[in-house]
Amino acid sequence: MTIAALSRASTMIRVRDLQKTYYVHEKAPGLWGSIRSLVARKRIAKQAVQGVNLDVEEGEILGLVGPNGAGKTTLVKMLAGIIHPSGGDAQVLGHTPWERHNDFRRQIALIMGQKAQLWWDLPAADGFLLLKEIYRVPDERYAKNLAYLAEVLDVTKHLNVQVRRLSLGERMKMELIAALLHEPRVVFLDEPTIGLDLTAQRAIRDFLLAYREEHRPAMILTSHYMEDIERLCKRIVIIDGGEFIYDGPLERVAKTYATQKVITAHLRANVGTPIDLTAFERFGELLPAEENEVKLRVARDAVAEAAAALLAGLPVADLSIDEEDIGTIIERIFRERRVESS
Amino acid sequence: MIRYARLYLYFLRFSFSRAMEFRVDFFFRIFMDSLFYAVSLAFFWVIYKHSPFMGGWNFDQALVFAAGVFLNDALHMTLFSNNLWWFPVFVNKGDLDYYLVRPVSSLFFLSLRDFAANSFINLLIAVTILVWALTRYPEPLGVERVTLYCGLLLLGVFLGYVLNFLFLVPVFWMHNASGLRETYFGLGQLSGRPDGIFTGWVRRLLTSLLPFALIISFPTRALFDAEVGSVVLQMLAVTGGLFGVLLLLWRFGLRAYASASS
Repeated sequence: MTIAALSRASTMIRVRDLQKTYYVHEKAPGLWGSIRSLVARKRIAKQAVQGVNLDVEEGEILGLVGPNGAGKTTLVKMLAGIIHPSGGDAQVLGHTPWERHNDFRRQIALIMGQKAQLWWDLPAADGFLLLKEIYRVPDERYAKNLAYLAEVLDVTKHLNVQVRRLSLGERMKMELIAALLHEPRVVFLDEPTIGLDLTAQRAIRDFLLAYREEHRPAMILTSHYMEDIERLCKRIVIIDGGEFIYDGPLERVAKTYATQKVITAHLRANVGTPIDLTAFERFGELLPAEENEVKLRVARDAVAEAAAALLAGLPVADLSIDEEDIGTIIERIFRERRVESS
Repeated sequence: MIRYARLYLYFLRFSFSRAMEFRVDFFFRIFMDSLFYAVSLAFFWVIYKHSPFMGGWNFDQALVFAAGVFLNDALHMTLFSNNLWWFPVFVNKGDLDYYLVRPVSSLFFLSLRDFAANSFINLLIAVTILVWALTRYPEPLGVERVTLYCGLLLLGVFLGYVLNFLFLVPVFWMHNASGLRETYFGLGQLSGRPDGIFTGWVRRLLTSLLPFALIISFPTRALFDAEVGSVVLQMLAVTGGLFGVLLLLWRFGLRAYASASS
């Protein structure tokens, strides 16, 4: 086998020029608008996904980042075979997802943080038995996988409790077990930590990393929590208005888009008299800071000058210069795009 | 087939477990349905006090027909009605998603996953009424005819399910199927009338394109009429044809399924 063939063999998701257009009708407000729309409707095409290309390899967790309505969930649902695209092509494990071959569906899993798949009034263990039958998981493998997943996620003692009596975090863990019992080779995670407390979020992130190490599935993760993305994904796609505006390593986002840095000056204790900071505003934006701290966001090319001014003008004990955090950078990218398009 | 039978056993188990979680609702539903049968039987008796024949059937034949109506209703309520009731809601809220990623027929899953366990006792009551109506029939009916009748009655239940679903599938495109659902319920009432009361084009329509008259009347005809071959053939052809249409519409419907944004 050639290197090229080997490389192709590890590509589990391949997307080319994939598009999805929804049609909605516009209605003017009020009763008259309703009457008019009853007779004649203005149909509007909304391009949810606009000709995107993507490859995801075995063992890779790809982070899909974008604001609400950016097209993240639409893309995931097309790749999971739930909705048909308007154009383009996608291959997941060599299958066209929306043809929904059983061989394809047996090898994928979908987890949606906002939708439950388990039977609400029954213990999760009952739901798992149904999934065992659906995915034809042999008895021995089922017992082994269930024991492993329940132990790692620390929910063994809750398996026989009705799903509706579980906490949100416990329910999400059960949903993860339900999705992974059949050892899928491709996993789609649509906001799996939404609404969870910090401990549960962390537990799920740790679990996903451990699961990736052990099983090497290709995963696509969408999340509004940047911590999910930063902890789990080495590569991200930034999507907005159905278009990919960045596809590459997470660490390169800062290098590519960060135009500013944050200088934090830690002042010596007992400075005494109040300090006038207005002189530093000419370098950039003063940010809210702790007591005895000054935070200044400045353009990258003004960092040296601003740092020197802070050192000269203030009783500085320590000084740090940081990149903006990734969430702030991405937020700014979206904000600037909104301004440009308006 | 065996796999689907095993899956259905799980649905049964889960549905019974869930129904028995809510005890008051469980017993109340049984009480309400029993009341429905009692009122329907009393109404039937009153009608036959004033008319010796209806749609060509005498009192004893019509009693079997009425028992068939009860059993058909009980089977439909127990097997399909909960599932079909929720189907348009699932389409509009995007709740089909998980059904579509499972490696089993989504139509099977969505049609049968929720067995109305609290209607199960009523199913037994309906069976009892039918057995009573058949055994009190003054002439011998013969095992073969009764077996054929039971088979066609089940086929009628399946035809009723297909018709019900056909009236709901447009929700993929229309997004609101309440008008069609009400139309189905209205037309569905016609299956509880002997087909003999319909004549002309109405009869042709109700035994072909909108075959509500086939659902219970035709199985009953197979029990009492001399000629049964055409009855069986017509039921099989119409049911098979409409099921084919349903499968086709299901395929197209899923292509139009937009899910819902999260």
